Amino acid sequence: MERLALTKRQARRPAEGAAAPEKFLLFRVGEEIYGMGLRALREVLLPEGVTALPTPPYQVCGSLAHRGRRIPVIRMRALFEAAAGGTPATARVLLTQGQGRAFGLLVDEVLEMAEVDPARIGPLPALATLLPPACFRGLFARQDRLVLLVSEEGLGGLDEVVQFYAASA
Amino acid sequence: MARTDALTPDATQAEASVLMFLLAGKQFAVGVDRLQHILEYQAPTRTPRRPPYVDGIIQHKGRVLPLVSLRRRLGVEGAGPEHPAILLLAGVGADAVVGLTVDQVVRVLSLPADKVLLPPPRVFGIRAEFIRAVANAGGRPVVWLDERKLLTSAEPITLLA
Repeated sequence: MERLALTKRQARRPAEGAAAPEKFLLFRVGEEIYGMGLRALREVLLPEGVTALPTPPYQVCGSLAHRGRRIPVIRMRALFEAAAGGTPATARVLLTQGQGRAFGLLVDEVLEMAEVDPARIGPLPALATLLPPACFRGLFARQDRLVLLVSEEGLGGLDEVVQFYAASA
Repeated sequence: MARTDALTPDATQAEASVLMFLLAGKQFAVGVDRLQHILEYQAPTRTPRRPPYVDGIIQHKGRVLPLVSLRRRLGVEGAGPEHPAILLLAGVGADAVVGLTVDQVVRVLSLPADKVLLPPPRVFGIRAEFIRAVANAGGRPVVWLDERKLLTSAEPITLLA
């Protein structure tokens, strides 16, 4: 019986061989909820400083002055073709980095943090989206809905982000 | 062989089983060999920048699969029923299983080989390449769709009223 009496700390430890839960920041774009890895998140900012870029060539990116330099901001509504209309009052910019490039994600609302067992993260079906598969890490089920996890590495490789840095070099 | 000739036994089994359903008032079918399940409608999670005929993704028994609207794949205007049926089809594309929404499931038909015809060049405006065969049920044509071609081809299809 004594062997079953685990301390609280031992009980919280994941089983040997099992990966530790990963933390994700959940956010809303349009009607749906998405997530990004918390480790990749640098800052969360108000969207006031985001300015438009000439279209073409930029269809989804805006620009933001941040600590003395300009960085591209991916307007997630435009990238996801999620919703029309202006930027809501709840909108925020998530600063992150992928493929060595700093950039922001303009999202409609930051919701909460979620801890997800990596074993619960599965791939997206091939027919799910026309966006490059590299833009997503996968998805997980949250209650009766599915949460798509964006990949900062994939988003950092988007043509417009690459173009933004090439133009400002 | 003329395109409307009966399929020879070499071209199909002695008897084919298909699931017949309605879409925009017309009778269509898919092969029972492709059919895994029939589900009640469940609202999908909308995925970003999806193909125009994809409604989103759904869960079924721990698996995540895309939900395709056959109405939109066939270019049918109008929303259709509020809660269409979902046919789960296997082996029809890059995804192991795909959900296909149809207006209403009717029944399973057993079609003797001599009653299954190759399609003419177009049926209801749908080109023959998207059709496996044509049969008759209740005095009306049943279009047996080529499930795989339907979901792997990017070519638009237009169902005529």
